[in-house]
Amino acid sequence: MKRTGFLYDERYLLHDTGPNHPESPERLKAIYQGIKQAGLLPSLTLFLAMPADLEWIETVHSKNYIKRFEAACNSTISTFDCPDNQICADTFVIALLAVGGVLDAVRRVMTGQIDNAFCAVRPPGHHAEHESAMGFCYFNNVAIAARYLQAEWGIQRVGIVDFDVHHGNGTQHIFEKDPTVFYYSIHQHPTFAFPGTGRVFETGDGEGEGATRNYPVLPGHGDKEYQGLVERDLMPVMEAFSPEVILVSAGFDAHVDDDMSDIQLSTEGYSRIMQRIAALAEHCSNGRLISVLEGGYCIKRLPELAVNHVKILLNI
Amino acid sequence: MFISKIMTRNPVTVDQDADILHAQELMAKHQFHQLPVIDAHNFLIGIVTDRDIRSALPSAHLEDDPGKVEWKRFSEIKIKDIMTKEPITISPLYTLQDALLLLQKKRVGAFPVIDEAGILKGIISVSDLLKELINVLGLEEPGTLLCIIVENKIGQMKKIVDAITEEHISFGSVLVARYWEEGKRAVFPYLLTQNIGPLKKKLKNMGHTLLDPMDWHVDH
Repeated sequence: MKRTGFLYDERYLLHDTGPNHPESPERLKAIYQGIKQAGLLPSLTLFLAMPADLEWIETVHSKNYIKRFEAACNSTISTFDCPDNQICADTFVIALLAVGGVLDAVRRVMTGQIDNAFCAVRPPGHHAEHESAMGFCYFNNVAIAARYLQAEWGIQRVGIVDFDVHHGNGTQHIFEKDPTVFYYSIHQHPTFAFPGTGRVFETGDGEGEGATRNYPVLPGHGDKEYQGLVERDLMPVMEAFSPEVILVSAGFDAHVDDDMSDIQLSTEGYSRIMQRIAALAEHCSNGRLISVLEGGYCIKRLPELAVNHVKILLNI
Repeated sequence: MFISKIMTRNPVTVDQDADILHAQELMAKHQFHQLPVIDAHNFLIGIVTDRDIRSALPSAHLEDDPGKVEWKRFSEIKIKDIMTKEPITISPLYTLQDALLLLQKKRVGAFPVIDEAGILKGIISVSDLLKELINVLGLEEPGTLLCIIVENKIGQMKKIVDAITEEHISFGSVLVARYWEEGKRAVFPYLLTQNIGPLKKKLKNMGHTLLDPMDWHVDH
């Protein structure tokens, strides 16, 4: 059994997106309850969030953007940059806790306290751009973790695997010129899904050419296509890059019961993908893997998806 | 949308008596594939493309052996010897739609834009037109495309727009609304949101059919 960290903090529930918003606190409650009821808590290393230093946020976002975001949360307006992005007075502080929790997970993995981690955070991050919020995301948790790994822990090559059903435009754009961070995304084809990026010919830019890879999947497809491309493409491509640490943008919205997409992954299909990513980490990265929650909106399915995810990390 | 708003003004031009190697350099430097040819009064007299120049020069693999190629001889070829005289031109008051339709008819890479007196005002290339079309479709804004089948009668679009507005969702564009099958139309709104679930439910409850994306096509 592995020593798996589990980041969960009730303060993440304070990011209030209002009634009927899919990115709701209920998502995290469902995940936590699922893991608790499966009897997994005693096997996990639980830890709470701490706020991130702005110094780390600034490795990805501009100072001006951070100021704008903070000011918006301190004002009476309820959305930021786009009507999708509901905010409340606490959102800025909670977003800092999301980043800080993920960085703490990274620190624990790098100091050997734990082998890997699952970070059940809100708000999610992979749509957040250098200069703008998008798609329920404000700070790009995973992108900041990659920069932290490089600057604080001397990691040369970071691999990011993003299986959220939506393309992680923010993460891609932040690293598209950077050959040291490989961004690999599997998502619903951008013609049929938000945000409309992540086409197969987006492969990085300049020195980063070749260190971005997008695999759009057509609507209606599911387990078979994902399994095929994980074996045929993700595994060899990531092994060739040989990341020293793997970050996972874990979005559970490709599930057949999730109405945010037309992709039809089953619960078992999700497990098979994660098993291969865990094997990849074992093979390339000394097992070092930090998984960070992105999307996933089907409250009924989130518990089982999170339980399976964590069991794979625990290797039980 | 008028061509005058989207064309390249003050384009790089070439003189008809310039040699073709000079024109080739200009194209490489500015990454253009076409150069308008003008006289001393900015009057358009032709267009020269990189393809015209390549056709006039020996094949590239000979360049490895400078001895074989009499570069001096090629430098004597003038633009006026290879340019297209009286190229297809358009006016600054052509619309984007005019230019796209003309492009479909005439297979050219760019249109020089001239005024009534024949004076060169700009140039618009296929890639400029595509860029504008991408802009019109809203493809560079994050959003979600839907396909809704509605009954072909007056007032359906209003209901859809109202439903979308009630969900506080902005439109990127409405891509197409045309005949689908007997008595039905297909409407493709491009919506600037990720949060599409509640709207989908609402539209279904209103009795609309959301078409499976794998069955989408516009050319019926």
